[in-house]
Amino acid sequence: MVYLRANSIGLHYPVPADTPAPTATATIATRIGGRISGADGAHRFVTALDDVSFALNAGDRLGLIGPNGAGKTTLLKILYGIYEPTSGTLERHGRVDALFNVNLGFRREATGRRNIELRGLINGWSRREIEQRAIEIIDFSELGEFIDMPLKSYSQGMAARLAFAMATNFEPEILLMDEWIGAGDSSFQDKAKARMDEVVKHAGIIVLASHNDALIKRVCNKVLLLEKGGVKRFCDADEYFSREKP
Amino acid sequence: MSSAEAGPHSSIVRSGEASVLGAPLRWLKVAVDDIREGLRKAPLWMALASEEIADSHRRTVLGPLWQFLNYLVYVGTIALFIGPENSKDFTLYVALGLLVWLYIQEIVSLSASLFLREESYINGTVLPLSVYVMKLTALTATRSAYALAGAVLIAFYIGITPTKALITVVPAVLLLLVGAPGVITVFAFIGVFYRDFQFIVGHVMRLLLFVTPIFWVHGGGGGLRGFLYHWNPFTHYLNIVRTPIIEGTVPTVSWIVTLSLTTLISICAVFLLGAFKRRIVFLL
Repeated sequence: MVYLRANSIGLHYPVPADTPAPTATATIATRIGGRISGADGAHRFVTALDDVSFALNAGDRLGLIGPNGAGKTTLLKILYGIYEPTSGTLERHGRVDALFNVNLGFRREATGRRNIELRGLINGWSRREIEQRAIEIIDFSELGEFIDMPLKSYSQGMAARLAFAMATNFEPEILLMDEWIGAGDSSFQDKAKARMDEVVKHAGIIVLASHNDALIKRVCNKVLLLEKGGVKRFCDADEYFSREKP
Repeated sequence: MSSAEAGPHSSIVRSGEASVLGAPLRWLKVAVDDIREGLRKAPLWMALASEEIADSHRRTVLGPLWQFLNYLVYVGTIALFIGPENSKDFTLYVALGLLVWLYIQEIVSLSASLFLREESYINGTVLPLSVYVMKLTALTATRSAYALAGAVLIAFYIGITPTKALITVVPAVLLLLVGAPGVITVFAFIGVFYRDFQFIVGHVMRLLLFVTPIFWVHGGGGGLRGFLYHWNPFTHYLNIVRTPIIEGTVPTVSWIVTLSLTTLISICAVFLLGAFKRRIVFLL
């Protein structure tokens, strides 16, 4: 049984000591970013997430929305295991893979093919498995001869194709995605949508952070609205969109 | 369909405060888990190491052979201009000292910025930190292997006297290899906590090149030179490899010093890893 449960998750981290104190104009209230609190100097800290709770079961597709810096990526990184929450608990059952910014976890100097091999080794695949999956990944990404070119020569969209093909080939039960789709062209977006449907059909969970309402509406059945690190709303996608945008 | 896993299949992550174990025990468990998983990922860190070596020589004609040539030219120049003329013993002394020194120097200076350089992976994957540590160990060991080939060449050319003590060179090399991950871990953490550290290390290592008996021989006298000879830990790491080959004896004091120091540093490394593994991503 695949599930993902966040119980009152919080994350605070210290502001580096040499960060300048806020100027007068910077203290005007805003919806952007997390909360910075504490005394000046070394004792200031950022509350990136505060008291975030939700439960997802097999087949759920959660859309994470909120202004820039609301904590969407931070929450994804906690769900993946890169960050450990400073309060609360996270219960997770299922094979997880994540798609963040393509600059994270890739070697820009290495070719696309080599990056597939390295990702395979990160995931603990065997040599034979890597060879076999590489063929499928290259095929799905449609990168052709560019697969043997260094990643730094790729456009954003090409890199997104490769990253998406890699993350989903692994047949994750829980797929975490951050703003990846904007870069791909429309034909790839259709392909990606079909692939995501497949993940959900295999009783998986998808968590997708995006500013693209149309995309969230199309993919997700639940919505979590974050603001300043806290949960503003957690409800069904239909309910959210019918009330929010009549 | 497959048994492959990107992350743990099932987990309950509690915030650190909620753990029932005492802090040191919890650190030990975190560190041991990290190291165990890191060792299981040997194919990965070996691939990453070879990737980095390939990067540094990309589009060059000689590739990693530069490492080999560099070393020979270095030793040759020192032997020609600094030592007594036509002294084969001195050439071998310098060749062995420099071999060990270059290995240590590379480890120390690269480890201070290790986690900072790996930010993209630390921030984008859930790999154990020991993967990066082992990658750097594999990287420096491989690079030193080219210098080692040069040293063997020089040793054959000059000729060495076979003695019983010679066999201790094998455990000495092993100690240098086994000790590396501990040193790398400690320096990598300090490098994150104090960003000035990598510059201090670079500076100090340049000075230590002259303070350490690589190009000069300790005559047995006291004074400042004698003091620096005995109290410089690097002296002893050089001696466990060099003395059995040059003098045919086993340097007992050097063995005691290096074994104790390596053990101490490795223990520090385990506790640093346990205490800061989960916080490191916020400090980068």
